[in-house]
Amino acid sequence: VRLILSAAVAVLALVVGTGGAVAHPERSQGGLIVFAGSSMTTVLPQIDSGNTYSFGSSTALGTQITNGAPCDVFMSANTSVPAALYAAGTVEQPVDFIRNTLAIVVPKSNPAGITSIYDLTKPGVTIDEAAPSVPVGSYTVQVLNQMGLNSAIQANVVSQETSDANVVAKVALGQVDAGFVYLSDYVINPTQLTLIKVPAWAQPKITYALAIVTKSGNQAAAQAFVKEILSPAGQAIFVKDGFLPIAAPVPTIAKVVPKAARPGKNIVVSGTNFGTTTSVTFKGVPAKFKIVSGQVLKVTVPAKAKTGTFTVANPAGTASRAITIG
Amino acid sequence: MLCMGMNTPLTRAQLLVRGGAAALAGGAALGPLAAEASAAPIPAGDLAYVRLLVGAELLASDFYEQAITASVASPAVAKYLERAHFNEQEHYASVAGIISGTGALPATAADIDFSYPAGTFESESSISKLALQLEDTILGAYLGALGGIQTQSLLTGLGQIAACEAQHVSYFSTQNGGKFFNLSFPPALTIGQASDALDAYTS
Repeated sequence: VRLILSAAVAVLALVVGTGGAVAHPERSQGGLIVFAGSSMTTVLPQIDSGNTYSFGSSTALGTQITNGAPCDVFMSANTSVPAALYAAGTVEQPVDFIRNTLAIVVPKSNPAGITSIYDLTKPGVTIDEAAPSVPVGSYTVQVLNQMGLNSAIQANVVSQETSDANVVAKVALGQVDAGFVYLSDYVINPTQLTLIKVPAWAQPKITYALAIVTKSGNQAAAQAFVKEILSPAGQAIFVKDGFLPIAAPVPTIAKVVPKAARPGKNIVVSGTNFGTTTSVTFKGVPAKFKIVSGQVLKVTVPAKAKTGTFTVANPAGTASRAITIG
Repeated sequence: MLCMGMNTPLTRAQLLVRGGAAALAGGAALGPLAAEASAAPIPAGDLAYVRLLVGAELLASDFYEQAITASVASPAVAKYLERAHFNEQEHYASVAGIISGTGALPATAADIDFSYPAGTFESESSISKLALQLEDTILGAYLGALGGIQTQSLLTGLGQIAACEAQHVSYFSTQNGGKFFNLSFPPALTIGQASDALDAYTS
């Protein structure tokens, strides 16, 4: 009963927050006015509790900003809505700040016995999803199309919601057998829900973007808040709640000096995005390296290196270049 | 014994350089599959299979890269790890090319975080054990795709890749004390079975 009550309270809080009818306190008292996608309901107050947050569908919030609703910073669960507002001159240049993953949740008791996304095509399974007009709903359709499952699964959809939070509430209450939400929605509700992964090969690229509203009278404070969001501490709080950090850019190699080197000798590699380098390998043989700057690496050719390619890796990917050894 | 590149004969050095180039191209077509993709519309169900195979090849490439980097295999086994890595990179470029040919973006290594059981890369035997499991699954995925894909023009290329994966299975079977030749009819996996099996290696 306590779980049901807490879910109901969460939904109520969300609806009140989404409606935009709540009288915001003066900015000097309530900090910045931040409009944010509902998937950030729990995480943002942890990063900065001094602001006034209004959570809801990113699409609806974007419309409210366009219509002149007072707002300093807009934080969207996609990049397209901020981009459209930027094109219209309503917000400053958007900045990507976090990523998320699509997931399936089922009630803890899992009455339909769902263990895979493919089980959602079975007759009689009831599914809840967000409407395609909100980001999480559009990501859901994208995944199902990628997997060739859209028709089969849509046949079992019994309800469409205006936010991921509403989907979470219905699943937690056992009103449906499964729902499509963000991974972060599960991470903050693990006691009420069971997670079913959406296959990695079908995952959409879910990137959140924020932007400072052009007419905001709190530009300096808004910029400070954006810095707070992008800071390692801010990003760590997002990651703790199930979000993914913004991927570092993939490295590129522009030049290697000298083009031929003997084992034990140093080469200087010029390029980009070397600041997060995790390894340098010569056909799989690891090499010692020093990050001189984001554009320069100093690499010692390993003893077992042979002519072929060497590879620079960072968390986002790799870059390779041919080299002659000897 | 592992499968050859598509434009053989090439020297070993040429093959390795080309493998690197394939990885850099991130979806550039090496084989005939991309041309087929742009020649005629491909049904959504077929593209779903191809996306799964793209994910499978990314997993295989990542696994072999980590296995090679671990440097725990004997030279005799290491050369097969390198060769298998090269094969998987070519396969990736080919199946990713099908997706690119439709105007969509195929998944890349940066899109998926893979994870493996603890200790996988600590010894030659643990690497060979997981290699056999992965190759078995990937072969099953290709065989399932061959049975499920409707676009006839894709089948030859996918069949070639399946043959190569079967060679990988054969080699790692012997490394695990098994036989060079085993089942007359290796099992085909449904797309759901293959997806669930492969997703066990993602985080």
